[in-house]
Amino acid sequence: MSPQSQKDAGLVRSSRWIEALGRQDTIVSSIFARAGFEPVQPAVIQPAALFLDLLGEDLRARTYVFSDPDGRELCLRPDLTIPTAQHYLDQNEGCGEPQRYAYNGVVFRYQREDDNLARPREFRQSGIEHFAPPSPPKAEAEILALTVESIRAAGLRACNVRIGDIGIFDALLEGVDMPARWREQLRHHLRHPAAFRRQLQKLMKPEEFGRALADPLFRAIEAARRGTIRHGDGVAALEKHLEDQGLAIAGTRTLDEIALQLEGLAADLRSPPLDPRSALLLDAYVKLATPAKDTVSNIQALLKGTDINIDPALEQFEDRLKLTSQEGVDISEAPFSGGFGRQFEYYTGFVFEILSGALAEDTPVAGGGRYDKLVETINSGVSIAAVGAAIHADRLLLAVRGGRP
Amino acid sequence: MTEAGRDKLVLAVPSKGRLMEDTRAAFEKGGLSLARTGSERGYRGEIKELADVEVAFVSASEIADLLRKGEVHLGVTGEDLVRELMPDAELDVTFLKRLGFGHANVVVAVPDFWIDVSTMSDLEEAAVLYRRHHGTRMRVATKYRTLTRMHFGGHRYGEATRSVDTVTMYRIVESLGATEGAPAAGLAELIVDITSTGTTLKANGLRVLDDGVILKSQANLVASRHAPWSDLTDKLRDTVLEALGGPDPASA
Repeated sequence: MSPQSQKDAGLVRSSRWIEALGRQDTIVSSIFARAGFEPVQPAVIQPAALFLDLLGEDLRARTYVFSDPDGRELCLRPDLTIPTAQHYLDQNEGCGEPQRYAYNGVVFRYQREDDNLARPREFRQSGIEHFAPPSPPKAEAEILALTVESIRAAGLRACNVRIGDIGIFDALLEGVDMPARWREQLRHHLRHPAAFRRQLQKLMKPEEFGRALADPLFRAIEAARRGTIRHGDGVAALEKHLEDQGLAIAGTRTLDEIALQLEGLAADLRSPPLDPRSALLLDAYVKLATPAKDTVSNIQALLKGTDINIDPALEQFEDRLKLTSQEGVDISEAPFSGGFGRQFEYYTGFVFEILSGALAEDTPVAGGGRYDKLVETINSGVSIAAVGAAIHADRLLLAVRGGRP
Repeated sequence: MTEAGRDKLVLAVPSKGRLMEDTRAAFEKGGLSLARTGSERGYRGEIKELADVEVAFVSASEIADLLRKGEVHLGVTGEDLVRELMPDAELDVTFLKRLGFGHANVVVAVPDFWIDVSTMSDLEEAAVLYRRHHGTRMRVATKYRTLTRMHFGGHRYGEATRSVDTVTMYRIVESLGATEGAPAAGLAELIVDITSTGTTLKANGLRVLDDGVILKSQANLVASRHAPWSDLTDKLRDTVLEALGGPDPASA
């Protein structure tokens, strides 16, 4: 941060802006309330640990973290979905009851530039979350429709929806023949296009990435993988190897984890390489860009000549389009892209963003989707479906005003 | 730090230890004598041969901060400290000259018995598995938050393109000292720290990853872009730079 920018544009908001934002909040909140979403108000100051372990260092770098006099590590909330999910868990003790919440409040994120009006470091977020919905596709359609309705009611007539569906990618991955471990790797690398492509390359030639492991150890691990000896014996072989090498074991990472990794490496070296046609298919899907109404036929064209069947995922996609239009929002022309959604770590299925022509493409006025892993990650073990959306209220107002404050 | 109304160049140099002695020697070699004015413990000084230079003796990490704020024109400090404080250092300062002392590498080091992990890419894989087993992210103990985030995010100093070998499934725990002891103490799983010979790492059962050298740092003569530069201070900067052997070759 240069001293110039420390002079802080944007510290003071005009009363006109605040009043307009207040009116907009009222409109949006009343739509959420009418639809049956119960208002919640998470505290502005939150325990830092709740966010840090979930969101990682990228967001940590943009979160205002501090200690209080008792030495507790706290933060100004960088997000409202996570405290809302925590509230859901506190209220329901993981019994999986359906619950719908709406929130409206300020969140805080560090921005390097102080003068970008579309990226203020404190801004209001209005959002809805539906936990354990009885019908997730219906909840997805409802939440998208409500978000669009709110944005229109706030005065933004022209907005564009773009969509993606990580569920289709997952189904495709399941359909392609490869070790489960490779699926996990590809799923993990999905967020980084270059890493994803390189991983595909690598899996087509696994032998080139093999490593010279110490021989007796390698044989023991390899045998453990094949099931000729038990995993526990592989661990014992590892322990012996470490002892022979004089390598001390310390810290929290266990021999069990290391043995699992080594077994995985051994398996990679012996696995038949990924079929280049499969690699091509996955790459083509990630690059796919088509209007929503043509998505299914395009994917079917990609699958022609393979024995991969992902009909359930495709049917779900079609159902969602129908349900959304029944909710009064037609997204048949919305651009779908196979790679969209991969940048958000927590989404697990349908994803959407709402853009305004008045603002840059990387500053959407709203976004949301299906995130089934979040609750499970907060409270290890309990898997609960969830769908949600958040409107960036300051951006929405900026867009309504054609990009001018 | 500058006195109002008097045009002069302010140079910050390390106030103690090996770094101070090496700095003094480097200036001496170029025919410039650094000296403290007033009491022997004072933090102000002069260059005897250059009347319009004011010298400030401060700690090396504080020098980076003064450069960032533009409160001094020039400073002698470690590149690691500058880059840690300023993620886009080139916007705030200019590295004028590598001085050939204060060598230290900032590195990513893991327990040596992690025989399945020798690259950043291995580390990410191990971290994903770790999260599944332990329910938490792997912890990286460090004083170098910025450098850690950049390297783990794929940034590589001296390389034009980002590496695809990013590590995401980690979190940083601040370490205030004896970072290399953190993994054995169970306070972190791995570390990012400086090392000059590697013996401390080895003694603590740690090993540097193949692509784990974040920055090969040394002491630099650094100019602030935010200091009040004038014809006089421009000229004095060039004089100091020449005395230290002239600018680095551009490509190095």
